Amino acid sequence: MTRNNQRWYDKPITKLILVAIALTWIFPIFGFLLSSFRPPEAIKRTSWWEAIYTGEYWRELTLQNYSEVFFAENLDRSFYNSLAITIPSTIIPITIAAFAAYAFAFMEFKGKNFLFMMIVASMIIPLQMSLIPLVQLFKSGIEFGGITLIPALDINGTFVATWFAHTGFGLPLATFLLRDFMMGLPKSVIESAKIDGASNMTTFLKLVAPLSISGIAAFATFQFLWVYNDFLVANVFLGVYKPENLVVTSHMSQIVVGLFGEAWHLRLSGAVISMIVPLIVFFSLQRFFIRGLIGGAVKG
Amino acid sequence: MKKSIFGLLVILSMIAVACGGSSLEGEEVFITGALVGNDAAGFQENFDSFTEETGIIVSFQGSDNFEQEIQIQMESGDTPDIALFPQPGGVVDAAQRGYLVALEDLGVDLDDYKANFSEYIVGLGTVDGVAYGGAHAFNLKSIVWYQPAEFEARGYSVPETWDEMIALADQIVSEGMNPFCFGMYSNGASGWLATDWMEDIMLRTGEGTVTYDKWVSHEIPFNDPVVKNAATLLSQIMHTDGYVVGGTDAIVSTYFGNAQDPMFEKDANGNPGCFMHRQASFITSFWPEAAQAGAGTETTVFPFPAMDDGLPKAALGGGDMFAVFTEGDEAVNAVVEYMLSDNFFAAAAQRPDNSRIYGHVQFDSSLYSKDITRVLADAITGALAENAFRFDASDLMPPEVGAGSFWKEMMNLAVEGPGYVDTALDNIEKSWP
Amino acid sequence: MKNKTQQERLFNFGISFLALGAFPLVWFLSQAILFRELTEIISRNMLVVIGLLVGSSFVFLLFSGMERLIRLAPMEKRDSLEARMFAGPSIFMIGLFLLYPAIRTIYFSFKDRFGQSFNGIENYSWAFSDAEMLVTIRNQIVWLVFVVFFTLFIGLIVGWLSDRLNKGEAFFKSIVFMPMAISAVGATAIFKFIYEYRPPPLTQIGIINGIRVSAGENCSNNRLIDGTLFDYADDSCNRAIGWLQQRDLSGLKIGESLEAGGWFSNLLVNFPLNTVLLLIIMIWAYTGFAAVVFSAGIKAIPSDIMEAGQIDGASEFKIFVSIVIPYIKSTIIVVGTYMVVTVLKAFDIIYVSTRGDLETNLLAVKMLDEFSKYRNIGRSSTVAVLIFICVIPIIVGNAFREKENSRI
Repeated sequence: MTRNNQRWYDKPITKLILVAIALTWIFPIFGFLLSSFRPPEAIKRTSWWEAIYTGEYWRELTLQNYSEVFFAENLDRSFYNSLAITIPSTIIPITIAAFAAYAFAFMEFKGKNFLFMMIVASMIIPLQMSLIPLVQLFKSGIEFGGITLIPALDINGTFVATWFAHTGFGLPLATFLLRDFMMGLPKSVIESAKIDGASNMTTFLKLVAPLSISGIAAFATFQFLWVYNDFLVANVFLGVYKPENLVVTSHMSQIVVGLFGEAWHLRLSGAVISMIVPLIVFFSLQRFFIRGLIGGAVKG
Repeated sequence: MKKSIFGLLVILSMIAVACGGSSLEGEEVFITGALVGNDAAGFQENFDSFTEETGIIVSFQGSDNFEQEIQIQMESGDTPDIALFPQPGGVVDAAQRGYLVALEDLGVDLDDYKANFSEYIVGLGTVDGVAYGGAHAFNLKSIVWYQPAEFEARGYSVPETWDEMIALADQIVSEGMNPFCFGMYSNGASGWLATDWMEDIMLRTGEGTVTYDKWVSHEIPFNDPVVKNAATLLSQIMHTDGYVVGGTDAIVSTYFGNAQDPMFEKDANGNPGCFMHRQASFITSFWPEAAQAGAGTETTVFPFPAMDDGLPKAALGGGDMFAVFTEGDEAVNAVVEYMLSDNFFAAAAQRPDNSRIYGHVQFDSSLYSKDITRVLADAITGALAENAFRFDASDLMPPEVGAGSFWKEMMNLAVEGPGYVDTALDNIEKSWP
Repeated sequence: MKNKTQQERLFNFGISFLALGAFPLVWFLSQAILFRELTEIISRNMLVVIGLLVGSSFVFLLFSGMERLIRLAPMEKRDSLEARMFAGPSIFMIGLFLLYPAIRTIYFSFKDRFGQSFNGIENYSWAFSDAEMLVTIRNQIVWLVFVVFFTLFIGLIVGWLSDRLNKGEAFFKSIVFMPMAISAVGATAIFKFIYEYRPPPLTQIGIINGIRVSAGENCSNNRLIDGTLFDYADDSCNRAIGWLQQRDLSGLKIGESLEAGGWFSNLLVNFPLNTVLLLIIMIWAYTGFAAVVFSAGIKAIPSDIMEAGQIDGASEFKIFVSIVIPYIKSTIIVVGTYMVVTVLKAFDIIYVSTRGDLETNLLAVKMLDEFSKYRNIGRSSTVAVLIFICVIPIIVGNAFREKENSRI
């Protein structure tokens, strides 16, 4: 269908509904963002809409809330920690999931359907429930009937514990989405590659992985946002009691909470600052994200 | 000491030895707790002089998610060296599960410790006769904040008994204003302000501290007539028309730290939003900055009014208690010794924003930055000496009650009204494990 | 002959063991130990750099190692070996990190508060008789119904209508999608700023209460007019409302005017206002996800089908219902499943806003509170098991769908 044919239903009502929804969606952020540029006392003294109405808002405009949060001691260190957690925690699950997705999509092996159902089923397991068993596993391993299945590792409090945890929690969705995506790739291309005698590894690396790049980017965005915004897993596995182990999200909550009652001025600027990285990632990868997810979902 | 920094420590201590410093130079001790913001900064400052003297680096990391994280850390084996629990109950629970090191094994002289902090306080962190909890800072809860100038301007006098307080409240209502500020929203702990009110009333009715102790240890049921009387009186405060500014909405929805803000704000007729606010001594650090300067002068306290002439005066309080996870580490032992010494709190006490009161009886109270803190500290010390100091009951009850049904039912009581008193108490009684 | 099958079986078992167990285990252990040792010996900055480079790429060693190993295998076995080795690490990690804890949880749900001795089904009878648990289950159902319905519904509208625009399609979708990039904690802070309540005579800074109290004659949200302060203390003014603490509508005018008795007005009076106000945050955050996926699905509808509808003169609504919806049915199911799972796991919003007070609790928060606040491992596990049970129908449904698809 060409764009020109669409004119007949490009009606005002369409635009009206969309504008209404967009306004509803943008509205919560609007007041929040505006208030973050107001001095602490002013936020409590007058409401933001009143301040704009009377012009007080423009006279009092300040970046003070931002500088207070932004130049907080060691925030840069927390930022590096966040990256050191987020990037491996994004790449590891994607690598593992991509191989698994290839196997589930194009290869035959015994118990394939059962194993795949298991992966889908594990999507629902709340990660909060896994925290205790996992910290115990990382500390003292697993023993079953006197046999050591996993030896005591004692890795709680190191980066590698958080990578593993995020990998485990992200894998079900990653495997599920990437498999769906790969199923949507033209079968003929893969089959012809096999006929040419290419091994599965070659087919995967040279053909399927590049073709799935948008699906991979989609999940990468998703996982990156998730891990970066997380504080629970980081606090649990990295040992929040060491200041050098803070990540941005928990550092931000340290700054924001408990100064003078409900410190709205810091809460506002803190939330806005912590949104910056996710929004940059989101806007730079969003076209992948949007295209990526369709692969699996649309084929039906 | 934690294994993960072991290598670093080896290198650092080699450097230290090479430089001829003391053997503990550069050792790191990690402390965690629920303190955040200014309180955390003050706590950390306490160690500045200690670090200078011994070379031991102490780092404190507070978290508003502490209670959950420490549970998981204990399971994980990756614990801090010392944890500062906001309630002694946390220490007792951790000790019962075998995670803590007894103070005696850390080289603490228990007799000195008891003499310095009182038998009662030490007893709060004791399990089966073994002391695990180290006393720290306290707060006084049996106080009501008010503004003398506003009282004088209207000819009100400070109420000394409960009946006088009710009479004053009625008078204020009849003059078209609201007597009380009351806000008990507190994320994850909403309702504790109401439990504090009940505890204060319990200490002043029945047989005073005797009934109170029986109530805490469940020797009398939660729906006992004495307890019911306390709940009814609390409900009178919460539910009498006009008593609380903003009514039920304010009680359940206002963050406890902002609950007193109406007192500092005038309405269109120039009257403050409220005249009395029963809240612990730490509340000053939640006030607007302008109001903080007037703590003790413009805004000060009167003692929670007496209810029964036959009973001795009693004081309710709360506070932190620390406990140690690391055994046999010289640096940790040194830190513990320092944390129980009389000059430990000096740096924090001198901070202008400090409102916490150190529990050590020998502590030089002239160090407190505010006069009001000194007065309240003396009140705590006095009450402790007379065995009239009692710790927050909800912190001493089993967690299902003290951090669960007691708080929850107080929130429900606030919403449901006076008719709910019996149901609330029955429900709490049922939940006692 | 028989011998050969046995040999085959043994070989198969060997492959499975290598692929699903031993091989991932070696990778897991070597990465764990390598970084544990690194943490001890190198400086912090080095650790971050090495973590970023090696931490990310270490996993490739696993797969290139497998490649080497596969070359040693006989040609005819390669395919089956490779398939398992490709899927192995994923299954290993999921098994270790999710399924093992899940099984352990089911086991602990039959134990007492310390997780030591068995107490039969006591925890389960508690879960279905305790008043607070019942309210929590009710809330979970309310969340499921409202959040799933509205994210799908608004998502469909946005997905479809934005497709109808000549210009600005990406713009509208981006706006609706943007909340996805904001953490649940941030989103909750944003909405708390809207619902904010402050006791009188303070200025209301939450917009809902601000508008409420300034409506009416002689009422104003502490505005100075010609030097005189106008407030809302007068009884004739609307009072401010603590929105997140309203368990029902009885605190509102609409609630007062309702007559008790009829089932409908009873239902309306018991409308869980605070729960609904909180779940709006989740709708706000997730609708963009649904919209974007639906829009992609709608774009994939072949143009001849749509044009046929237009030539027939069918109305826009009819095209939507009879062509668009059936065509993207599978997409709707995928998004719906994802939303159901996400709602059942919903945690952060409640945890940082009300923490379950005044009948707003959800199962995931209750589970964590039972563990860390009340220190009851048995009950905490039971609540977790309830979460699984809720999803079983969805999983079974998807399993059937999966079978149908594979048949086609």
